[in-house]
Amino acid sequence: MNRARLSDVKMILLFLGPALAVLFFTTIYPLIYAAVLSFRQYNLAKPYIPRIFVGISHYVSLLSSGRFFNSLYVTFKLMALAISVELILGFALALLLTQKLRGMRVIRTLFMIPMMISPVVVGLIWLFFYYPGLGYLNYFLSFLNVGPLRWLGGPNVALYSIAIADIWQWTPFVMLGVAAGLHALPIEPFEAARIDGCSKLQTLFHVTIPLLKPVLISLFLLRSIDCFKLYDIVFVLTKGGPGTTTEVVSFYIYREGFTLWRMGYGAAASFIVLAVIVGFSTLFIRTLKAEAKR
Amino acid sequence: MKLEEHGHAKARSRRKCRERILLYLVVIAVAIVFLFPLYIVVTSAFKPAIDMFSRPPSWVFKPTLKNFVDLFTLRRFHENLRNSVVVALGSTFISVGVGCFAAYALARLRFNWLKNVSFWILSIRMFPPISVVIPYYILMRNLGFLDTPLALITVYSTFNIPLAVWLMRGFFLEIPEDLEEAARVDGCGRLSAFFRISLPLSAPGLVVCAVFCFIFSWNEFLYAYILTSSNTMTATVAVMGFWTTEAIEWGRIMAGCMVVLLPIGVFVFASQRFLIKGLTLGSIR
Repeated sequence: MNRARLSDVKMILLFLGPALAVLFFTTIYPLIYAAVLSFRQYNLAKPYIPRIFVGISHYVSLLSSGRFFNSLYVTFKLMALAISVELILGFALALLLTQKLRGMRVIRTLFMIPMMISPVVVGLIWLFFYYPGLGYLNYFLSFLNVGPLRWLGGPNVALYSIAIADIWQWTPFVMLGVAAGLHALPIEPFEAARIDGCSKLQTLFHVTIPLLKPVLISLFLLRSIDCFKLYDIVFVLTKGGPGTTTEVVSFYIYREGFTLWRMGYGAAASFIVLAVIVGFSTLFIRTLKAEAKR
Repeated sequence: MKLEEHGHAKARSRRKCRERILLYLVVIAVAIVFLFPLYIVVTSAFKPAIDMFSRPPSWVFKPTLKNFVDLFTLRRFHENLRNSVVVALGSTFISVGVGCFAAYALARLRFNWLKNVSFWILSIRMFPPISVVIPYYILMRNLGFLDTPLALITVYSTFNIPLAVWLMRGFFLEIPEDLEEAARVDGCGRLSAFFRISLPLSAPGLVVCAVFCFIFSWNEFLYAYILTSSNTMTATVAVMGFWTTEAIEWGRIMAGCMVVLLPIGVFVFASQRFLIKGLTLGSIR
């Protein structure tokens, strides 16, 4: 027993030690650094300004800044738009593509490609489609006598254009998740429903969806967390414009840090965003833990 | 009587057949709409400039390799690809190497606080990368790592180690502990039980894990854009660079996109079974 204990300790040091050491230096240290930074004036473009301690004034001005709240609002709006469509569409696609037909495997595999593509490439693909005067979308719309739409320049349209690109990339992810969930469901409730004479729609709403709820919740949380990471597509398509209508929170931080070079202010903004993410990821981890207990 | 039944069966099978055809049509329609963007990238990469924006679009055109030739001669894209590969391989090597040991310890040792360590590691994966970009930039600047592969290898390892740990932990948990017990009864030490039994058994997991880490690094843009410039510019940043203030070189962009896409397409076809597990961090199997 005593010997086993000892080897446990050794094992922790030997196996877990390196990973923890690396992660400590690459996450905890930068976070502490950022925390210190967020209380300081630090402008990389103007090195002559002393890096004075400014206390919580960055946080105060952020929380009273319309632009920061706008970026949070834009992020949440995009989240609501994209995730709701992704969940519904992904669910429908999962039902469709789990039908037993010949050739379905190949189609399913093809559908998986977008989510593995670099978001920059996704952005460029859609830029090609939206591009004023040249893009395919306006060409197709002209057949319906609609448009031409200002996909990227229209203040009311641009965010939807970004959402479409995100939906295209991530609907397959929801589809795959739901398909995997469907595959793991027990067969008995469906037989019971069939014997009770439920219609297909009734079975869907009263059996399938309730049974899939844990899967749907974890997909929703994962997508929400990912939405805060959305940066590349915005960078390629709109750079936050027109005005600030598509300035998501990650782009706001980028702008503060790397176009205005206000590092301290940007670091403070990152911390507020981080707090929001911690909320979401705590929820996700809690569902994971509940799953592990079962 | 018998005839009637036969007729019913025939009608039913006919209805089934019709349903089947309808289903096929729906699936094909959905697939066409959904895969159209990919089709456009692939075809545009081979389109001569004159066909790129012709209206109506030239669905039939004479394919050319000019875009690719330009890409590799005028733009020296192979250098960017090399940078991408160096960075991706470096971070994959570190992440999988460090990660699989940690994962093994987390899967096999039963201390309660270790569970919290696992979840702490997982939570790192959920950080939006943007939230640490500012301290990273300043750190790399002070260390003199800006525009070297080291900067990106460090950053990508940070994001990949948690993924590697979490995925490998799942794979190790699936290997029955009895196998190791048996080896240890036979006089194997803990270390050699790991190297001789668990590690070889989880080889497919290691491969999946490595591929995920590689793809993440290969695709990443934000840090590559901020931490590198001319010397170590990666492929994704370079493709973005064909969009200059004067012109958008669409031919080269599409060709570049296709080159960046290629390994991913291959990977998706090769390892589709593991995709969902990797992407949902094992929350959905």
